Amino acid sequence: MSERRIDAVAKATGASKYTADVVLEGMAYAAVKRSDFPSALIENIDTSIAEKMEGVLGVFTAKDLPVKTNLYGRRVFDVPILADGRVRRVGDPIAAVVGTSREIAEAAAELIEIDYKELPAVTTAREAIKSGAPLVHERPWEYDGAVVTPDSGSNIQSIDTHGSLEASEAALRNAVHIVDEIYTTPGDHQGYIEPQSCVVDYQNDGTLTVWATNKSPYRLRDVLATVFSLDPKKIEVMPTILGGDFGGKGAPGDAPLCTALSMLMKRPIKMTLRYGEDLLSTDGRHGSEIRVRLGIDGEGKLLGGIMEALLDGGAYAGFKPVPTVNLHGIVDAAIAYRIPEFFVESKIVYTNNQPKGHMRAPGSPQAAFAFESAIDELGRRSGMGPVKIREVNLLSDGDVNPYGDTWIEHRGKEVLALATSQPNNLQVPKGWLYGEGVAVYARSMAAVPKTSLRLRRGQGGKIIAEVPIPENGAGGQTVVREMLRSGLGLSADQVEVKQVSTSLLPTDAGVGGSRVSLGVTVAVANAIKLWKQLPADQDLVEVTTTEGSDGPSGAYSVQLARVAVDPATGQLKVLEIISAVDVAEIVNEKAHQMQIDGGTVMGFGFAVMEDLLEDDGRVWALSMGDFKIPNVADIPTLTTVLLRGGRGVGPNNIKAVGELTNCPTAAAIANAVADATGARLRKLPIKAEAIYWAMKEGNAR
Amino acid sequence: MKITFNLNGKGMELDVDPMSLALDVIRGLSLTGTKEGCGVGVCGACTIMVNGSPVSSCICLVGTLSDKDVWTIEGLAEKMPELIDSFVEKEGMQCGICTPGQIVAAAAIDSVGASSPEDIKKYMAGNLCRCTGYQTILSAVEEYVAIN
Amino acid sequence: MQSTDTEFLIPTSVGEALQAIAKEDAIFLGGGTSTALLYKTRLIEPSRVVWLGNVNELKGIRISASEVRIGAMTSVAEIAADSEIARLLPGLSSAAGVIGNARVRAMATLGGALAHADPRQDIPPALIAVDAKASIRSLSSTREVSLAEFYAGFLETVLDPDELVTEVVIPITSNRRSAYLRYTPTSEGDYPTVGVGSSLTFADDGKTVSAAKIILCGVGAVPIIAAQAAQALIGTTADESVLRNAAALVRGAIDPQDDERGTADYKTEMSEVFTYRCLRLCLGN
Repeated sequence: MSERRIDAVAKATGASKYTADVVLEGMAYAAVKRSDFPSALIENIDTSIAEKMEGVLGVFTAKDLPVKTNLYGRRVFDVPILADGRVRRVGDPIAAVVGTSREIAEAAAELIEIDYKELPAVTTAREAIKSGAPLVHERPWEYDGAVVTPDSGSNIQSIDTHGSLEASEAALRNAVHIVDEIYTTPGDHQGYIEPQSCVVDYQNDGTLTVWATNKSPYRLRDVLATVFSLDPKKIEVMPTILGGDFGGKGAPGDAPLCTALSMLMKRPIKMTLRYGEDLLSTDGRHGSEIRVRLGIDGEGKLLGGIMEALLDGGAYAGFKPVPTVNLHGIVDAAIAYRIPEFFVESKIVYTNNQPKGHMRAPGSPQAAFAFESAIDELGRRSGMGPVKIREVNLLSDGDVNPYGDTWIEHRGKEVLALATSQPNNLQVPKGWLYGEGVAVYARSMAAVPKTSLRLRRGQGGKIIAEVPIPENGAGGQTVVREMLRSGLGLSADQVEVKQVSTSLLPTDAGVGGSRVSLGVTVAVANAIKLWKQLPADQDLVEVTTTEGSDGPSGAYSVQLARVAVDPATGQLKVLEIISAVDVAEIVNEKAHQMQIDGGTVMGFGFAVMEDLLEDDGRVWALSMGDFKIPNVADIPTLTTVLLRGGRGVGPNNIKAVGELTNCPTAAAIANAVADATGARLRKLPIKAEAIYWAMKEGNAR
Repeated sequence: MKITFNLNGKGMELDVDPMSLALDVIRGLSLTGTKEGCGVGVCGACTIMVNGSPVSSCICLVGTLSDKDVWTIEGLAEKMPELIDSFVEKEGMQCGICTPGQIVAAAAIDSVGASSPEDIKKYMAGNLCRCTGYQTILSAVEEYVAIN
Repeated sequence: MQSTDTEFLIPTSVGEALQAIAKEDAIFLGGGTSTALLYKTRLIEPSRVVWLGNVNELKGIRISASEVRIGAMTSVAEIAADSEIARLLPGLSSAAGVIGNARVRAMATLGGALAHADPRQDIPPALIAVDAKASIRSLSSTREVSLAEFYAGFLETVLDPDELVTEVVIPITSNRRSAYLRYTPTSEGDYPTVGVGSSLTFADDGKTVSAAKIILCGVGAVPIIAAQAAQALIGTTADESVLRNAAALVRGAIDPQDDERGTADYKTEMSEVFTYRCLRLCLGN
């Protein structure tokens, strides 16, 4: 049995310090005036009234910034710190106010008058790719890190493809049954409860100290070094506890702006977003429109598939960190299946909407909703049924997946069997329709541990492990403690794990991509090995690991949703979600289970309620009163069944779990609604009203 | 204006703008366990206990705390160690940002007398958690209610 | 906060409170849930806030043989928790139990809820259905206004700036049954897509409906009183076809708007469904 998580007492007593809790001597507070228009030229900025307000220490616009470049980004540097002459979305920061209190800075920001000249805006991805559409950026290929060229087409951020369209089309022509449908999902927000915040302290000697709600401290350091021409060694990103990230909080956020303000004001600057500002101005999940074509032969075997995804990247590409500037979850959509010819295109476009970035398993929830709905439709239409069509086509050991990889094992069929064979003890409300739906998700994984770690001896035989990873709640630091404890034969209280600031360890890739447990295990295992060989007169081990050791491998999760629908209203009650999960060894059972449950609830929210309500170039869900995430009374019964005994990766033989259960949920629910009512919902979120009209408009079985 | 109230069992007299938010005043006293989340009374991260009832400190003007008995997570952690123990033992948390609010809400559950699992769910529905899927939080509250 | 020039007064009697409100841009403050939000987002800038939390005569529930009187500063949670209210006024009890979340219910007061006049609020339909009246005082006058006539428009009431709702008076009628039902299909604690309060009063035979009320929230700028629909119940024995017919008649009374809780068309359909279900609830099933 694993012992309880290391941060439990501090968090339960309110003692844990988050970024918003940091207060420095002489600190001033920043707030920004944001664009009111999706696309406009800034003709004049009048800061005179704001400047006169009591307590205002300074008001700054783009021209004042002490930067080498006004642009930053995670990969593509196309995000302005402050808008310079042009705004590209509602919420672009235009001017910053520094005041003696947060409230003064916010009130003063409202007093800044902007004269705009409105420009035509593109507010849907579909419009944006039409030739002749207004251009969000005139020359996007000129940005550092851009992957587009002048020939890429209008408003393209990136296009990622796999397979042959012609071969897939040819394969589909031989199909006995085909499905060809379009699925859409809305812009979403990570829904972390802690709004983004940062505190920056620049000193005259050129040192910069940063506290930020940021899960990639080393990357943040490097971006700040680039933007401000600073020596990375003089930038210290401090340890912090994250109040949830769920894929967000990887971008620099307001740290570049606050760095500039700290340089200008010669004092520490703090900026904490109000939740509504966070909903408006940060980078959530891409809205998508995904066309899926699949075809099977007379025996039900998939012959070919084509998936064309169009994603709304919003005004900036700079929030996507990977080299493709795309979302690999889209391209990987068919990873669980044997499909001789599969073509996928993921096209992400610029619009004058909120820019989008990463949210828990980037691209996968959208792709899984589309693909797993489509295969379900095909199963039902062909008479095979939704379970059989998956049984026939899921990969087996030794099979090559559509991307040419052969995983060390495939347990999708066993996981599917587990999900579909659980007892049913549910009470269906009288008169309601009942249905079940299944969906499969698989995710590749390998231990890719770009990280570092230091062990030192503390007092009384204690071992202190210094790690570079911020604790985002998933329990990464507890995992480190568990491994050291068992690897070195110590008790839990003999191991102390703490995050240290960026100068004290060489590197880390940040939290994300389900990589913490996998990557860190390699580093910890190496450290344990070295520690055991340590001469008695030494007490320090430092390891840096950059290469993975195993793979390719992956894990499956299959969910079965049991739902009831009120035929008179369309009201949907998701009664139960069974999550069957493919696991190897588990380092910490409780943390593992919470990742499964929390992921499932997030998938449930994506399926039935979450929506930024983006329309006409604006986010309309600007408070948690309108941007709904699931509460405890909303959620279904959560049942988990683990298929243990899998072959994992890394020295501890584990499979990542953090992004497994939020991906299949929406399709499982949509498939269950179709089972219950005959109505097929191809647009998220699936709300009662949509079900009602779908049933009423003759679609019922 | 001088506002007097009991905070975590001790008498307080503060010279503050009564139109300040209780959240800001409390955090200004270095009691930063009370968190700002949604800012509109929905998420529950800023929950404090006022005369035994749960209150959203982000939409509570501090003037309305006059003569009241106010508790924050810091005070409750000392006053109700068994409640903290329930959350620690059941690991009713991950990132922890909602945790103080969850615990303060649980501390005030007697104000509505919720005891069945359904009543507990309905009562706790005002405290959002994005990490855990709620199962460990529910177990912690249920355990606390059961031993009380 | 941003301003320090708002006066904050804490009267201990209604008389003092009414004296205190006699200033331009002065406002009363009850639980403060709505006022604090409006103030912190700089939508209101009152010159003076008259907080009623220490006016004890405005608090509490008093029940006699003929009426229930609820002080304006009684919290929604107290109303929801009162077992006599649950017995005598099940519609009100259930409306008070479903608003927002536990914190809102603990903080919000009856008087504040009425004065705020958000047409999505649950309590007004429940109260209008049982013929509730608001007792209103100012320095110069005292009046009673039926809650059916209390709402003047979106976020507007018939109250003058110097007037205060001191209590709500609900007559107790034998043979009257009431219910409240709301529809929040997306998330618990959301504002309702539609809410319906209704009451049925029976003649001495215990079967014939002698009076009926149907009031809806969330489907107009004010609580909607569906008089024609209610009229269709009177003189009947409220059997299935009568209920269905009455429910269909609410369509003509409402004026819903499209929003994230439903299109106007859907709200119209749901108004009928939930009126029918609320009437069934009045009948005990």
